[in-house]
Amino acid sequence: MKPSVLRFLAVLPLLLLAACGDDGAGGKRRIAVIPKGTTHEFWKSIHAGANKAGAELGVEIIWKGPQKEDDRDDQIKVVEDFISRGVDGIVVAPLDDKALAPPLSDAVREGIPVVICDSGVEWDGHVSFVATDNYRGGVLAAERLGTLLGGNGKVVMLRYQEGSASTMAREAGFLATVTGKFPGIDVVSSNQYGGATTESSYKRGEALLTAFPGVEGIFCPNESTTFGMLRALQDAGRAGKVRFVGFDSSEKLMQALGSGELDGLVLQNPFLMGELSVRVLVDHLEGRSVERRIDTGARVATRENMDEPDVKALLAPDLSAWLK
Amino acid sequence: MMAAAKQTAGEARRGRRARRVLALLGPFLGLLLVVGLFSLLAPESFLSAYNFKTVATQTVIVGLGAVGMTFVIVSGGIDLSVGSVIALASVVTALLLRDGRAPVLAVLAGVCTAGLCGLVNGLLITRLRIVPFIVTLGMLGMARGFAKYLAGEQKIDAPAYWLADLMTKSPQPGWLLVAPGVWGMFLLALFMGLVLRATVLGTHAFAIGSNEDTARLCGVPVAQNKVVIYALCGLFAGLAGVMQFGRLTVGDPTTAIGKELDIIAAVVIGGGSLAGGEGSILGAMIGAFLMSFLANGCNLTGVPNYVQEIIIGAIIVAAVAVDRLRHR
Amino acid sequence: MSGAAPVLLCMRGVKKSFGAVTALDGVDLEVRQGEVHALIGENGAGKSTLMKVLSGAHAPDAGTMELAGAPFRPRNPSDARGRGVAMIYQELTLAPHLTVEENVMLGREAARCGFLRRRPMRAAVAEALRALDQAEIPPGRKVADLGPGARQMVEVARALVGEARVIVMDEPTSSLSRQDSERLFAVIEKLKERGLAVIYISHFLEEVNRVAGRFTVLRDGRTVGGGALPGVAVAEIIELMVGRKLEEVFPAIPHEPGEVLLRVQGLEGEPLPLAAGFELRRGEILGIAGLVGAGRTEMLRALFGLNQVIAGRITIGGAEDGGAPPRRRLAQGVGLLSESRKEEGLALNLSVAVNATLSCLAPFARLGWLRRTRQARAASRWIERLGIRCRGPWQPVSELSGGNQQKTALARLLHHDVDVLLLDEPTRGIDVGSKTEVYRLMGELAAAGKAILFVSSYVPELLGVCDRIAVMHRGRLLKPRPAREWSDSAILDEAARGAAG
Repeated sequence: MKPSVLRFLAVLPLLLLAACGDDGAGGKRRIAVIPKGTTHEFWKSIHAGANKAGAELGVEIIWKGPQKEDDRDDQIKVVEDFISRGVDGIVVAPLDDKALAPPLSDAVREGIPVVICDSGVEWDGHVSFVATDNYRGGVLAAERLGTLLGGNGKVVMLRYQEGSASTMAREAGFLATVTGKFPGIDVVSSNQYGGATTESSYKRGEALLTAFPGVEGIFCPNESTTFGMLRALQDAGRAGKVRFVGFDSSEKLMQALGSGELDGLVLQNPFLMGELSVRVLVDHLEGRSVERRIDTGARVATRENMDEPDVKALLAPDLSAWLK
Repeated sequence: MMAAAKQTAGEARRGRRARRVLALLGPFLGLLLVVGLFSLLAPESFLSAYNFKTVATQTVIVGLGAVGMTFVIVSGGIDLSVGSVIALASVVTALLLRDGRAPVLAVLAGVCTAGLCGLVNGLLITRLRIVPFIVTLGMLGMARGFAKYLAGEQKIDAPAYWLADLMTKSPQPGWLLVAPGVWGMFLLALFMGLVLRATVLGTHAFAIGSNEDTARLCGVPVAQNKVVIYALCGLFAGLAGVMQFGRLTVGDPTTAIGKELDIIAAVVIGGGSLAGGEGSILGAMIGAFLMSFLANGCNLTGVPNYVQEIIIGAIIVAAVAVDRLRHR
Repeated sequence: MSGAAPVLLCMRGVKKSFGAVTALDGVDLEVRQGEVHALIGENGAGKSTLMKVLSGAHAPDAGTMELAGAPFRPRNPSDARGRGVAMIYQELTLAPHLTVEENVMLGREAARCGFLRRRPMRAAVAEALRALDQAEIPPGRKVADLGPGARQMVEVARALVGEARVIVMDEPTSSLSRQDSERLFAVIEKLKERGLAVIYISHFLEEVNRVAGRFTVLRDGRTVGGGALPGVAVAEIIELMVGRKLEEVFPAIPHEPGEVLLRVQGLEGEPLPLAAGFELRRGEILGIAGLVGAGRTEMLRALFGLNQVIAGRITIGGAEDGGAPPRRRLAQGVGLLSESRKEEGLALNLSVAVNATLSCLAPFARLGWLRRTRQARAASRWIERLGIRCRGPWQPVSELSGGNQQKTALARLLHHDVDVLLLDEPTRGIDVGSKTEVYRLMGELAAAGKAILFVSSYVPELLGVCDRIAVMHRGRLLKPRPAREWSDSAILDEAARGAAG
């Protein structure tokens, strides 16, 4: 064990040097892309999309998430450090709709343009906002669930987290549609939050299933809540018996969709989001005018359409070409 | 005879000073090494006034926490609850601001709540004779849970008033150069450094950490001192919490998770001994800045997060190992 | 001078028990102003309990205490100190991270608004050190950087600054060099001149004879005698201490030395010893004497592989090596009984059975599961054989008396069936009866063909038990000589000064 540790320590400085080797890459533009975290599939797709745009446009993409996943303060630090570093532009998926505003203002003051992606922020200094129309995503989910239930039944919505603008928009779109379009549907619970992790969503899901045994339809607004609820349903032996529409995809959720435990997944296009964010930023840097709001679209994947090529590309994107 | 007494007194002062300088040499060299290394690797971006301002602002929360923690560690204790207490203080401050209270009142309430947590820690440790590790581990959960309860498990949007200016990188008036929060941290550190070195409380903290039985034997009110020390640590966590609010401009009950470990690491890197009896405020400040510069430098040079985590972990172990060597 | 000085401290019929154990059973003690009063007794005689009662750590169950004519019932050590009774314990009670000055003034700092006023404090410390003729101790130095002699002076200075009237010194020279001891005796002289009373606890009788003006002997928690010094023969005091004739203390069990089991040549360890060489034969007890810190314990630890061996050859039963780990030593039939029974020798929270069999659990295990009945049976055999007084094999060792704890530790070595026993202070902290049992056991073991290396600081027992004795002086082991060629004073002399030539 000892030699391996030593070897590792010997390699550390090399890693450092190798990492900074990138810094001197000629006159290339450098664009920082800051996700909310680095371990989820969703962010990997964004990374791949950004890399694709970077390669095609000849700009360098610097990918850097907060040290602690989902930690607001750490994301602020990353933004600040990129300002210090003097990058040419920043693409950021803000962890908070307010807390990120001051550092982003600092960036603009230092002459660094900012593109917001995925989640909104209460700040209007951005070049463009590239995201799924999340409200529309919620509407799609409501339509799918409402149709499946035939316009009748008790429905539960497990929220994600307060302060996350994207999921709040989905929740709002879902609620407005399900109550507006399907008067026969009764939303029995819509005030519970699953929280940041699958584990916390799982526990909250279990509690909801116990509290509302007669529930017939469920909506969850992101991957972690969907998966947590799925696990709770499976544990309770009710998976496949309750109509269940979720958001975003993963390996496990795809399987559940194939086996009928999930009846629909609203899919965003993170790859496109990453790609367009970088493209729009480069357009801006090169003096072209850009749209202030870009919708990257959403569609519902079902058991029936999940093998169609364009749905498949959203469900299980092949990122290997763009992620080394 | 007077001359002899003077001579020994002079020698005493010199001896004390020499020892203190020696103890700080290691961490200080470490800090220079980190700054020097990154200055070479990324000269334009790292070595800029703007970047130093950034790092100073990023250090405030850990730095303030480390001031209080130094007292606790010097007295042979530990406080694992500071991260949660920071969150609680920021939530309490945000709540009062949201309800339209004056900012001063909100800040005071936040800091006092945190001080109360520290006081409870101290009382439980001394009255129930439970080891600090367990008591503060309990408080870690309780303060975090209480923060979430108060905040309704959500972040709290509140008008930030001048609190946001505490942590801004472009302070008004301009001659301040760095954020008022940074100045606050420095002034408080200076004052508390004096308290640790030149007051009865400070001496008793060292005595308790060095040999608690002796302190008791010599009539030092051990329990009373401990309560004061933990309350002090809570107060500083509260100040850090207010700064955290100023930085985020929202009251976030999930903020500063694991921050207590950064704070403890800062104190230990700065020469604090978890066995008690050793530590200094200046050292803790150096430790806090060392970690900030390291994280900042890694970000600037594009070192991946996982490498950064490994390096910081290694530095903590190395700092303690060097310390052990020094004591041999 | 006799009778002229008034009585300063007076204890009458002091009793104290802990549960069923009676530690003090009627102690009388009378200490006069300006005298050094020796308190003598075997370990376990009640000296330390008496001191704890005097210092306020324990409240007496019965009896009266008076200090300068007024009733004296301290609530806690700090209270006793405040009223003028200061303790200087065997393990010094200083805060190592603090300076001399801070230690001396601890708890009575001069301050204004919470901030220290160093000037008057420094003056007081300098005054105290000067009064003791110890002005060369730098007040700004950290106590951790001082030698043991200077540390003791700091303790005395602290007592002086606290305006102590009675200073109790518990085995003050046990960790001091001869030079530092002399320094201490000079300081005690100073204290006497200032009219303080010193209670001097020691079992170095020659030392007591030199320092003290009067003495009191304790045995089994009772005052059994006393008188003026010098003027009483050492043998007389010993017999008072142990309560029997010397011959009864050391049972004579004939044993014959056989072939060499352990040969050590030029052993140098980290940090000690510097040079040690000897031969140990089957059926022989070799005693090692020396001052604390001479390197005796370190020699045993190096032999057993607990300390690093730098140089030297160790031959055990024909196999030679230059140091080996404890596992191998145990396999070779070498066992070590650690000097620190409580820290290292025993797992105090665990039972007698577990402690006795800890080093050799394999016979009781099947697939990693312990078979408790067999373990208990084996332990019971040793309990019976060594006469360990306990409720049964599953009683925690912490509940046993010192002597029975020590026997449990011995049982482990014997259970492991070792041939060479390295015993480091096996009788420390156990009562006379138990000591005699340990001596008898050692004799029986030697008779059964075991080889025993016996490290002790208590010279009479070395003389009483060993076949040969060697003295260790500053890391060097001097030539062993047959026990009958040694005397009490010859050993102490060689231990202090090295080879007499």
